[in-house]
Amino acid sequence: MSKDVLVIGGGIAGIQASLDLADMGIKVHLVERLPSIGGKMAQLDKTFPTNDCAI
Amino acid sequence: MLDVGRHPNIRLLAYSELEKIEGEAGNFKATVRRKARYVEEDKCTGCGACKEKCPTVVPDSFNEGLGTRKAIYSYFAQGIPSTHTIDPDHCRQLNGKKCGVCAKTCQAKAINFEQKDRIVEIQVGSIIVAAGYDVFDPKSIPEYRYGEIPNVVTAIEFERLLSASGPTSGHLDRPSDRALEAELEEVEKKVERSRKALDKYEEKYGEKSIDFITKFRAGQYGDDSDKAKWAEKYEEFLPLEKSYEDLKQKVSGITVAKRLAFVQCVGSRDFRFYPFCSGYCCMHSIKEAIIAHEHERETASTIFGMDIRAVGKGFEEYKIRGGNHSNITYVRGRVAEITEGPGRNPVVTYEDTKERKVKSQEFDMVILATACAPTRGIAELAKTLGVELDKYNFIKTSPLSPVDTTVPGIFVCGCAQAPMDVPESVAQASSAAARAAEIAFQSDLEKERAVAC
Repeated sequence: MSKDVLVIGGGIAGIQASLDLADMGIKVHLVERLPSIGGKMAQLDKTFPTNDCAI
Repeated sequence: MLDVGRHPNIRLLAYSELEKIEGEAGNFKATVRRKARYVEEDKCTGCGACKEKCPTVVPDSFNEGLGTRKAIYSYFAQGIPSTHTIDPDHCRQLNGKKCGVCAKTCQAKAINFEQKDRIVEIQVGSIIVAAGYDVFDPKSIPEYRYGEIPNVVTAIEFERLLSASGPTSGHLDRPSDRALEAELEEVEKKVERSRKALDKYEEKYGEKSIDFITKFRAGQYGDDSDKAKWAEKYEEFLPLEKSYEDLKQKVSGITVAKRLAFVQCVGSRDFRFYPFCSGYCCMHSIKEAIIAHEHERETASTIFGMDIRAVGKGFEEYKIRGGNHSNITYVRGRVAEITEGPGRNPVVTYEDTKERKVKSQEFDMVILATACAPTRGIAELAKTLGVELDKYNFIKTSPLSPVDTTVPGIFVCGCAQAPMDVPESVAQASSAAARAAEIAFQSDLEKERAVAC
């Protein structure tokens, strides 16, 4: 039995899932196809409905 | 993002792809291909000196091709990891040409042209699929002429134009105007080169080209071959100078885009493509119109949609605020066609369903609110994982267990499951994390139960 979790995709969903698990003390392997994580959300300037910065 | 890079419990495998999965819930063996960056991850400090010197310029995919990057690059400025990557399709050295400038520049000695892909095997108890989505390609809708009319852009392209870290530093410069400026720069270089060539002749013969040409045309110089060359050069220079002056005048009249049209449901709620509602596009357009108005107070936006779907906490208020304070007009009607009018301005033809009239209106720019399409490669990924897809190619789940795929131990969250906005993606990601944690802690629970008995 392994406790580790594999997360496929480093967009906002993958990042949130990884951080939640890692904070619980579970080891996470986060695989991202592109050179950096961030996904589509990193391309956004601001987010609705608060106009907060996306990055 | 930074937290991910720093967290001791997260092993980040960026620029990597899943190759194979074996086993079952609690005991999966994953094979991951770590693609060669041609830069040593443990040596690269992310200083960026290499990309300053790299001679190869290519379109920047992070900026949706609106800007440029070098063949050695960081995906975006704040990217995690900050390790640079060499693009093997464009790097001169990797394509057999003589270069290696980056290797000479790198003080950390991180460049390694010999680097190969590495295969890593990982034992895991569960898997979370967060593969995301792709933007629908509006070229499939020929009547909107995306790709033909330069000032018709997608919502994500517009987002890059609005961004302070984007290719225009947040100024709403229209793509056609940016092309014009690039052309002016190009012609300016040619004019300078041509001017220099003429200067040489002028110095040599101590005569201005303009005086010379009148005499030459009158046949005063006979068939002197050097003078004939001078005349030829001058004849070439004249139209070049004219086009330079014309372009300069056009460029001086450029202003930022102030009249914006947002076209909703491009690819979604359309039975030719995706019948579903992508959910976030109405709010996305309102947000872009509000931000554009924040940048330039004279900006007026019109949002064309069948209806505005502002479903979510604070969303309806946001929509109303946009209408009241950000110069947004909401028009109920579907856009039939986009054509190009004078001044490279897109003209939107639509039906105003309130007035029951077909109308046309000219704008500076048109932004297409493109559908959330399943990501390319999802079919292959689903095959690798053995999970089923739904009829649109999103990962199949049931309404009562929205993060469980058809394979136990494999969970899904975000737009890989269905179109959704950021808050929903985050909520679903936490939900998928909780389901994965159940598996991780199952063995501990079983042990505890055994002790309690």
